[in-house]
This record gives sequence, C-alpha cells and structure tokens, in this order.
Amino acid sequence: MKRRRILFLKENYVLRLFKNFMLAGLFVIALLLILVHKIDLGIISGISKGVFYITAPLIHVVTLPAEGLSYGYKKASDVLNVYTENERLQKENAELFLLKDRMKALKAENTLLKKLLHHFDTPATQSYTARVIAENGSAFANALILYLGENADKIKTGYAVVNEAGMVGRIDIVSGSYARVSLVTDINSNIPVISQKSRDRGILVGGNKEEMKLIFTPLLAELHKGDLLVTSGVGGGLPPDLPIARIKKADMDAVIATPLFTPSKLEIVKIIAYDVLPDAETSEGLE
Amino acid sequence: MKSAIKNFLATIGIFLVPILSIIALELLLYLPRSGGFWNFMRLTPFYAGIYFWQSQRPDAFNMVSAFVLGIFADVLSSTPLGVNIAAFLFLYILSVYLSSWFNVKKFSYSWLLFLAATLATFLFKALAVSIFYRRLVPLNSLLFEILLTITLYPLWARFYIWAERRYIHLEERYEKI
Repeated sequence: MKRRRILFLKENYVLRLFKNFMLAGLFVIALLLILVHKIDLGIISGISKGVFYITAPLIHVVTLPAEGLSYGYKKASDVLNVYTENERLQKENAELFLLKDRMKALKAENTLLKKLLHHFDTPATQSYTARVIAENGSAFANALILYLGENADKIKTGYAVVNEAGMVGRIDIVSGSYARVSLVTDINSNIPVISQKSRDRGILVGGNKEEMKLIFTPLLAELHKGDLLVTSGVGGGLPPDLPIARIKKADMDAVIATPLFTPSKLEIVKIIAYDVLPDAETSEGLE
Repeated sequence: MKSAIKNFLATIGIFLVPILSIIALELLLYLPRSGGFWNFMRLTPFYAGIYFWQSQRPDAFNMVSAFVLGIFADVLSSTPLGVNIAAFLFLYILSVYLSSWFNVKKFSYSWLLFLAATLATFLFKALAVSIFYRRLVPLNSLLFEILLTITLYPLWARFYIWAERRYIHLEERYEKI
C-alpha cells in the first residue's frame, strides 16, 4: 500500500509533529493561566465562575442524600436529649437573667463614654446564612462550598464567613446560588489580626495545615499560649474584632495559632457583608 | 450523511466515556460529609483516570481530555487555575512515554509505573504551588495524598475497566489499536 505524503513528509510524521505542538501549546496555556491568575486579571475569575456554575450544583445534588441522613440523625438525637438539654437551658437562663441588669448598666455607661470621646462606631454590618455542602482540604488548598439560596445576589467576593466560634474564611467565588470559601487555614490566607489581651498586631498566615503562623509581630510582643486573636480591621477588608484563632505556642522562633472551628463539623455559616472599601466595579462615584 | 453524523457522535462518545467516568467518581467522593481522610481522596480519581485511560485506551483519551479535567480539578479543589491543568498534562506526557518504553501486560507492573508517574506529578505540582504562593506546601499532607493516590489506583482502575467494557465496545478497541 502506498503511503500518503503531505509536502514531501510522511503523513504519520506530520501528525506526530502536530500532536507534539498541540501538547506544548496546551502546556504553555496552563502556565499562562497560572501567571494570569498571579497577576489577578478578571478573565481567570470569569473562567472559574463558569466552571463553578456547572460543578457546584452537581456536587449539591450528590451530597443531598448524605445531608438528609445527617439531618435525620441530628433530629433523632435532639429528641432523645430533650430532657437533659432543657435542664441545661434552664440553668443557663437563670445565669443570664442575673447578667441582664449588669449588661444594661454597662451598655448605658458605654454609650455615655462614646459620646464623651466622640467615638465613631464601625459601619453596621448585614449578615446572611448559608449551608455548607462540601469541604475541600488537601496539601494544596483548603476551601468550602456553600449553598447561598436566595441571598446569592447580596454576597460579594471578600466577605467574611463565620460560625458560632469565630471566623472561618473569606468568600472566594460567587457563581449562581453557590460560593466557594477560602478557609483561614488556606495557604493563600493572610489576615491582619490583633491579640485581644495585649493588643499586639500581626498577620495570621495559613499553610494548608491545622495550624497557622503569626508573622510580623512586634519584637517585644506579649503573646502567650491561650491568647485569643481577633481581626484588626486593618485594610478595611474585614470587620474588626472577629475571633479567629487561639495561640497554641508562642516562643522566640514562632507564634503558632489554631483556628476556632473544625472544618468537617461546619454545617451552617454566617456571611458578614462589610462594605468599607469601595467596590472596584462601582467606584466611579469616588472619582 | 446520516452515517457520517452517527460516526461523529460515536467518536465524541468514546472521548466522553473516560472524562465522564472520572467526573462521576469524583462527584461520588463528595457524598461523605465526614471530611478529613475523605478530603485527601477527592482528586485521586483524576490521577488514576488520566494514567489508566491514556495507557489502556489512548484512542479514547487525549491531551485535550487531560486539559478539560484539569480545569474541573482546579475549580473544585480551589488551587490557582492552571496548576492542575499543568500537572495533568505532565502526568499525561509521563504516561505516554512510560507506556511506549515499557510495554507492560501485568497489572502489578502497570501499578509500579503509575507509582513513578504519580510521584513525579505530585513533586511538579507541589513545586508549582510553592512557587505561586512563595510558601512550601505541608510535607505530611503531601506524602499522605501521594500514598492514598497510589494505594487507591487498583480500586479506581476496576471502575474504569467496568466503564470501558460497558460503554466502549471491545471490537472498537481492537480495530483501532
């Protein structure tokens, strides 16, 4: 059988050459995407949003049976524990009743002192609840996928995500009724914090581990094991005073802190809308 | 005309089976909500799938399939877009060369080659992520993920063999190879 030739070259050779060029081209595209991601151009967020728009609902559908089972188990255990839970709540209620008058007095005093000092309150924040549908944690990234439901149009990238204990992460992508959250333990997370006790500042950085590192602390910082770290609000991206981590180890070499949440136990979270910084898309009014 | 369209759809279908089987397995791994151990399993079907389909059915899996799977993995795993694409293309190239150098028939030898390809791919990916963030990725988690990917290969391969036998006819395989 006669072999076909294209421009004096064998067809097989041309095909192989084309395949190699295509492979090299795709590899270059991948490297370019990484570079463009680093420069933070809008195109990347567009591609990510598009793919996330398709994949997040699929994940939600798959996790629905597990969610149903977990809900049923929780309800059943709630019914079984109703007696002990009632006793505990009655005791707690009695304690809170005693604190109520003291809090009223402190609030009045606080208002008066603020007036005297001409103190400005931080802007009022709005919050929305969302359901965790999946968790991604590996050596390369730590993230959550949230179902936002009707609140989707009110959520923006960068909003803080909290649970009952403190800050969990920040909104990374919003697409359709879903959002991806980059956890505070993610390797990309850098959050300005302040020690609640000593008021020493620092940057809390994640490393895709259960522990986080506190860097850029003052030389004579008084940080001790057990101290609570809260957001400082520096930079305006996050509201101040959100509890975020507790110091596990503090010595001359490093300050290590642990987050206040367990990723696998997150079910419902709260998203805090904090708009101090002008929105990049609607900032014409500031010019 | 009708037969041309039918042929075109059949070719597309052959290429869709590997991609869909990998994505189906990936989505199934989202079913447990216990976190921890399961989190490290999430991307293992991708590595196993790319190696398996490239080495067993190169007629049904090409570099574009690896590229598409990379985009999915990047968005799902929240890594910078491009990292998983580059890693999967790297794994694809490795498996092309490994399967052409060593014409293995036994599954255990194929598993050994997968071990070598996975180690190199994870090192490449860890290097890319570390350079991107200018921070080293945690070694413990990285080693655990590598071990898990290698250990689970036979399990995922069983599923891919089933998908191949169920959805791609064997006659086609022997005609094209």
